[in-house]
Amino acid sequence: MVRKIAIYGKGGIGKSTTTQNTAAAMAHFHDKRAMIHGCDPKADSTRMILRGKMQKTLMDTLRDEGEEACMDLDNIMSIGFGDIKCVESGGPEPGVGCAGRGVITAINMMEMLKVYEDNLDFVFYDVLGDVVCGGFAMPIRDGKAEEIYVVASGEMMALYAANNLCKGMVKYANQSGVRLGGIICNSRNVDGERELIEEFCKRIGTQMIHFVPRDNIVQKAEFNKKTVTDFDSDCNQANEYKDLADKIINNDNFVVPEPLRMDELEELVVEFGILD
Amino acid sequence: MPYKLFDVDKEIPERERHTYVKDEHDCEIDCNKSTIPGCMTERGCALAGGRGVITGAIKDVIGLVHSPVGCQYYTTGTKRYPSQPQLPNGKIFPIDNFNLKYSFGTDLKEANVVFGGMKKLKEVVVETNKEYPFASAIYVNSTCTTGLIGDDVDAVCKEMTEKLGKDVVGFNTPGFSGVSQSKGHHITNDTVFDRLVGTKEPPKTTEYDVCLIGEYNIDGDLWVIEKYLTEMGLNILSRFSGDASHDELCWMHRSKLNLVRCQRSATYIADLIEEKYGVPYKKVDFFSTDYCSDNLRMLGRHFGLEEEAESVIEKYHGEVKEELKWYKEQLTGKKVYIFSGGPKSWHLSIPLEKELGLDVIAVASQFEHSDGYDKMKARVKKGTTILDDPNSLELEELILTNKPDLILAGIKEKYLIYKYGVPAIQIHSYENGPYIGYEGFLNLAKDVYNNINAPVWELMEFGGK
Repeated sequence: MVRKIAIYGKGGIGKSTTTQNTAAAMAHFHDKRAMIHGCDPKADSTRMILRGKMQKTLMDTLRDEGEEACMDLDNIMSIGFGDIKCVESGGPEPGVGCAGRGVITAINMMEMLKVYEDNLDFVFYDVLGDVVCGGFAMPIRDGKAEEIYVVASGEMMALYAANNLCKGMVKYANQSGVRLGGIICNSRNVDGERELIEEFCKRIGTQMIHFVPRDNIVQKAEFNKKTVTDFDSDCNQANEYKDLADKIINNDNFVVPEPLRMDELEELVVEFGILD
Repeated sequence: MPYKLFDVDKEIPERERHTYVKDEHDCEIDCNKSTIPGCMTERGCALAGGRGVITGAIKDVIGLVHSPVGCQYYTTGTKRYPSQPQLPNGKIFPIDNFNLKYSFGTDLKEANVVFGGMKKLKEVVVETNKEYPFASAIYVNSTCTTGLIGDDVDAVCKEMTEKLGKDVVGFNTPGFSGVSQSKGHHITNDTVFDRLVGTKEPPKTTEYDVCLIGEYNIDGDLWVIEKYLTEMGLNILSRFSGDASHDELCWMHRSKLNLVRCQRSATYIADLIEEKYGVPYKKVDFFSTDYCSDNLRMLGRHFGLEEEAESVIEKYHGEVKEELKWYKEQLTGKKVYIFSGGPKSWHLSIPLEKELGLDVIAVASQFEHSDGYDKMKARVKKGTTILDDPNSLELEELILTNKPDLILAGIKEKYLIYKYGVPAIQIHSYENGPYIGYEGFLNLAKDVYNNINAPVWELMEFGGK
């Protein structure tokens, strides 16, 4: 059975980087068959897996060539590092149209084509920073992703976004059965970061599934249009993503989170974060 | 208790405050609010109110609906709005009844929604203008879809106005913008005023210029009134918007007196014109011989044309007097409902009783506001049921309870009513109109008589009988 995973988090927190590196590690170290479905109109969720190739998005294909063309998987899906299947929903440029509708359309189309059921162990949905409308909640609606991982760091705004995402998740938890699998800390090297995230996780009833340390090799690999595993599978950071992948594969801690109130969240940040 | 809760509304008791049976105790009826869930409403949306009711009557413009194709239903043929091809500049518009025959839309698809529909809108504006270069203007209506995705219709229209050198006007009428079609009337009034009124000057003006506001020429109504007023010596400078041309809307501010016929859908623009240009307005009513005579006399006094008014009244009232008397004898005591969209429920209640002997026992409106219900209440007798935003089940229950002889309603109710063996006349779009003025009222009397006495009602078995 394929496990469908949605990755959420504040814009710029490193969702796409984490998703691609984790998927690459899963494929390379754990021999898993993975797929990444990018749900961001910017369409930058699969670039490193495809080694810099900008693939034509599903929405562009729909617009330029029509629905028929989308029915041909060769037009909309590329295979990258570790045989990872890559699809980008795509969508409008900022300020026009309805990007959320693009996500809905793309996911419906992939389901119609039964892509997710085809020889896969893991599907990752890499979703735009904020769940601004119903469209961006599509991956956690009925029958889509069953697990969510939120990428966060020890900064107020990252936690605020994570907490908000949990609120949205509670809304869908009963309806679709979606569960939080944990928080991935993508470290920013801020003071008391690990402790803060651990405490936050405890308060909302989940786990910090992995603490990914900050390492310049990630940027270096990215500059070379590769994931860390692809760039240097022996380096320490590759090992970190291997661990994260392993923890996700063996995860059995799935919860409906209990999001914090704003004042609770502020107290927490004051307690762990800004105090010298 | 003056409020009434239908048996079929037991599960939605909120309906009680929308339904009122007139007695000594007056009470406020709930209206102009969101339809109560569970109530199978007959209301339309803001697009229907704007495009379907107001701009759909204008004879020389391209009415373009920016939407998936379904919304386009409200762009053509839904109301009987005939028009004549004569334009104020003396030219003849090359296609007669253009407003009824032609429908334009952007037919948006999934990809247009995702990427935004503005590019396609521009293309369609250019293309329709190329196909119909003689159209005086292009009116673009936004809809639920394009409202939600935030297409900037106004910006496109501005750009296209410059590019094409003719008015391209955006009407922001997403269906969800109001509780009923009433919001579409309001938006359209505001837009015509903001964007058009005062932008052109009429070829000539006289001291007797009037503007007929809220008269949409249903089945030729406007032409009846126009005939009376013209014979009296008045000049119809602009119509809003029956058989109107685009240019007329642009010089509405030059009228000496505005006459507001449909007081729900068009009082807004009369108010705005009065406020900005100081043109006064009067609310008028030309349904039935009494109201018609009263209002013609009022206009005669206003313009010092009393004698002329009298001779028009004498001539046209004279033509129908005897016949109407005969119909009254035949129809006296027949029970009727008036289920109109808006103001006809109060326009017609007294005339039907007084001039045709009918017994009005229920009136309803889909979208009236409280001032309209005040007029409705004032004009019906004790015991009459008044409904706001009625639903089909209530209508059925009402029919089974008090067995009316005829119902004046819209197309949505007509066939439901037929199933109960009750005749129905379309009072929104008419059967054999016009229904306004003297000869119009006679037409209505004939339709009432013919429908009630049609042999079919005795030849078939109907539900509920």
